Amino acid sequence: MIDVSGYTKLYGDTVAVQSLSFQVAPGDVLGLVGPNGAGKTTTLRALAGILQPTSGCIAVDGIDLQRDPVAAKARLAFIPDEPQLFDYLTVTEHLQFVARLYGVPDAAPQIPLLLEELELSGKRDALPPELSRGMKQKLAIACGLLHRPAALLLDEPLTGLDPVGIRRMKETITARAREGTAVILSSHLLHLVEELCTRLLVIRRGQMVALGTIADIVAERPELAGRTLEEIFIALTGDTASTDLSAA
Amino acid sequence: MIDGRQRHPAPAAALLFLYARSFVNRARSQAARIRSPRYIVAVVLGVLYLYWALFRNTQANGPSLTQLLRADTTVVLVSTLVLLSSARWWLFGADRSVLAFTPSEVQFLFPAPISRRGLVHTKLLRMQLAIFVNTIVFSVIFRGNAGELATWERALGWWLLFSTLSMHRVGASIVRASAVEHGRAGWRRVLVPGIIFAGLVGAVVFGIVTAIPDLRDAGDGGIAVVMRTLTDALQSPIPAAALFPVRLLIDPIVRAGTPAWSVALLWGTLIALGHYLWLVRLDSAFEEAALEATQHRAARLERFRASQMGQARSRKGTLVAVPALALHGRPEVAIAWKNVAAALRGGAWKTQLITFVVGLTALALITRQASPRAGDAFMGVAIGWGAMLLFIGPLWMRFDLRLDLPRLAVLKTYPLDGWRIVAAEIAAVTVLHSITIWALLLVPVVMFLQDPGLLVQSGATVPMLVSVMVGVPAFNALMFTIQNGTALLFPAWVRLGTESRGFETMGQNLLTTAATTLVAAVALVFPVGAGALVLWLANDWGGWSVLAATTLAATIIAVELWPVLRWLGTVFEQTDVNEVAAAP
Repeated sequence: MIDVSGYTKLYGDTVAVQSLSFQVAPGDVLGLVGPNGAGKTTTLRALAGILQPTSGCIAVDGIDLQRDPVAAKARLAFIPDEPQLFDYLTVTEHLQFVARLYGVPDAAPQIPLLLEELELSGKRDALPPELSRGMKQKLAIACGLLHRPAALLLDEPLTGLDPVGIRRMKETITARAREGTAVILSSHLLHLVEELCTRLLVIRRGQMVALGTIADIVAERPELAGRTLEEIFIALTGDTASTDLSAA
Repeated sequence: MIDGRQRHPAPAAALLFLYARSFVNRARSQAARIRSPRYIVAVVLGVLYLYWALFRNTQANGPSLTQLLRADTTVVLVSTLVLLSSARWWLFGADRSVLAFTPSEVQFLFPAPISRRGLVHTKLLRMQLAIFVNTIVFSVIFRGNAGELATWERALGWWLLFSTLSMHRVGASIVRASAVEHGRAGWRRVLVPGIIFAGLVGAVVFGIVTAIPDLRDAGDGGIAVVMRTLTDALQSPIPAAALFPVRLLIDPIVRAGTPAWSVALLWGTLIALGHYLWLVRLDSAFEEAALEATQHRAARLERFRASQMGQARSRKGTLVAVPALALHGRPEVAIAWKNVAAALRGGAWKTQLITFVVGLTALALITRQASPRAGDAFMGVAIGWGAMLLFIGPLWMRFDLRLDLPRLAVLKTYPLDGWRIVAAEIAAVTVLHSITIWALLLVPVVMFLQDPGLLVQSGATVPMLVSVMVGVPAFNALMFTIQNGTALLFPAWVRLGTESRGFETMGQNLLTTAATTLVAAVALVFPVGAGALVLWLANDWGGWSVLAATTLAATIIAVELWPVLRWLGTVFEQTDVNEVAAAP
């Protein structure tokens, strides 16, 4: 569903991401983790067609994102960490806007269902400045789900949500994955990653340091056996000193 | 605990460090953007223009503007305006924001061991940035004749005027803030300057009131005679005495000849120095007022951001209605619809249009009924409004890419080609602004309805009106494309989103406006030339040939815009979101 091959992004002489290759199959939930500045958001933005790769190839549902960006984007949804909403459109109007933009055939019955699912029904006529941070996040996610994307890219999706909202959001993500959506999820909340993701992609300084299930990663690095995900994360992404410290 | 005697606070050095580093870092981040070739080209052109305007172009275009600046009418009216502004600060209070600091300044400076005088100096230092930029801009606009006054001499005059006015404004605000804080005792401090300024304003009003009969007679002679009479009235002894201190400040800008300028500068400097000494010796507590002003500004900004000018909902909380969007159809329409919603809710476009239409209709009715001459005069005013709206409207109406570029990351995920997104962004504002200008056509229509004979007499009017209907959308499309193109090409230099960049960018805005006007002029060469050719060939400058010429010109504009939109689409697709996000 999502096929990344040799993706590299340079800013001048600075390497943001280097030679990243991985695949995400339908129903797969890939957790993208790494320390601040590792290149997670840059990677997600490239997958969403927002940033042009310096080199490499990205395909969504078999469509090359560089060659046919419009067709590829029609199959994608990207939900950024900071909800980017239009201040003058109500909650419902946001969904109507997205429906027209993506040509959703059954938008009229879908919109109320989605509002209900994300607990936004009571705010259907509210403008974004009248919403809390969590509500804005839910609206951004609703907009991303409306056109039933084949690939769902989520950057820190649970930021600003209350515990009930977090639970509901986890259910929404797993439900979409069950329906066959390929999901990539970037988060610092390792317990969430552990709970939701079928595989992990750990990057550090723009380079992949591990890819696979936790069992796969431990199999490649036997010294990590019996560690928590947090300890594994620190061991994989920290410098030598912190790795030694966590191992101690 | 650290021994207090070991501490050596150096607030002045810290403040200098703060502003120097901020300036350097800001310049560095601006320079980092200039790595892009298009910014390099724009900077080089801008620097060359400034150099030419300030140091080389001392003759070209000088006489007309210099004459305008030095005309008695200009000097007297500007003096009056400056006096009235200053009086307003004392009598009604200055804008509280003049005392405001940035939230980070409040956080770091207010609890720090900095004296009140130090805070006042901080305020003055910060104001100099805006004053410096405005001095350059006004010096460029009113660059003069080198034989009489060098550009740098006039620039010094502008700097002195702006600095003195700023200090006066801050001083008035501090004294008024102190008055509020100290009750009756504080108000006594405001009493003396209040009485003085009330007296000065009274003197000016006296001069105008005594001249009312002359002004009434002058009304028949046209606007030039009215202005002359008004100037004479304000030059009579009593108002002239009231305006004298302001004239002293303005003299360094208008006084011809270097020796006379030196004397004028000396007087101006003395006034500025007096203001400075007065300001730094003020012992009024203003921290609380400054803090309140800062919070007030922050709250206002928050309200502005939150409610988007507070116009999206009525006082009862009803949301401003927007046309329904069909859920199926061309996706570009959704983007245009979104911008229409923004104009209706954020800009109260419909309310403004209705007010405009009602006002125009009423004025057309009243003036035509008063006298045909008054009707003609109002027609002239309406044409002037139309021309002004054509040029200034695209600067004001920003419900397009200029509003949306801060969300570039989201726009780029849309399954649409870049040029389609750009075109859709421009389409809505083009249509809405065209409707606004079309509303001006109500003026002649109302007059025709009042006097149908007029329609028969003015054979050229109907073709002209139809031509306006045809030409306005094409012209608006061109102007909005230029504005949006500028935002796309130079996102770091254009105000994006709803936030105001403040006073200090006034000069930058003026320069970008001048640049976009130049581009529009170039783009209009072929359309206007072709239209004029049609009229010349038909030898009919007032009939239906005008419509043919306008249609041809509009078509050429459309032909010009097509490749430009495709190119801007490519620019949109290639624009790095970080470049836009990094814009201050």
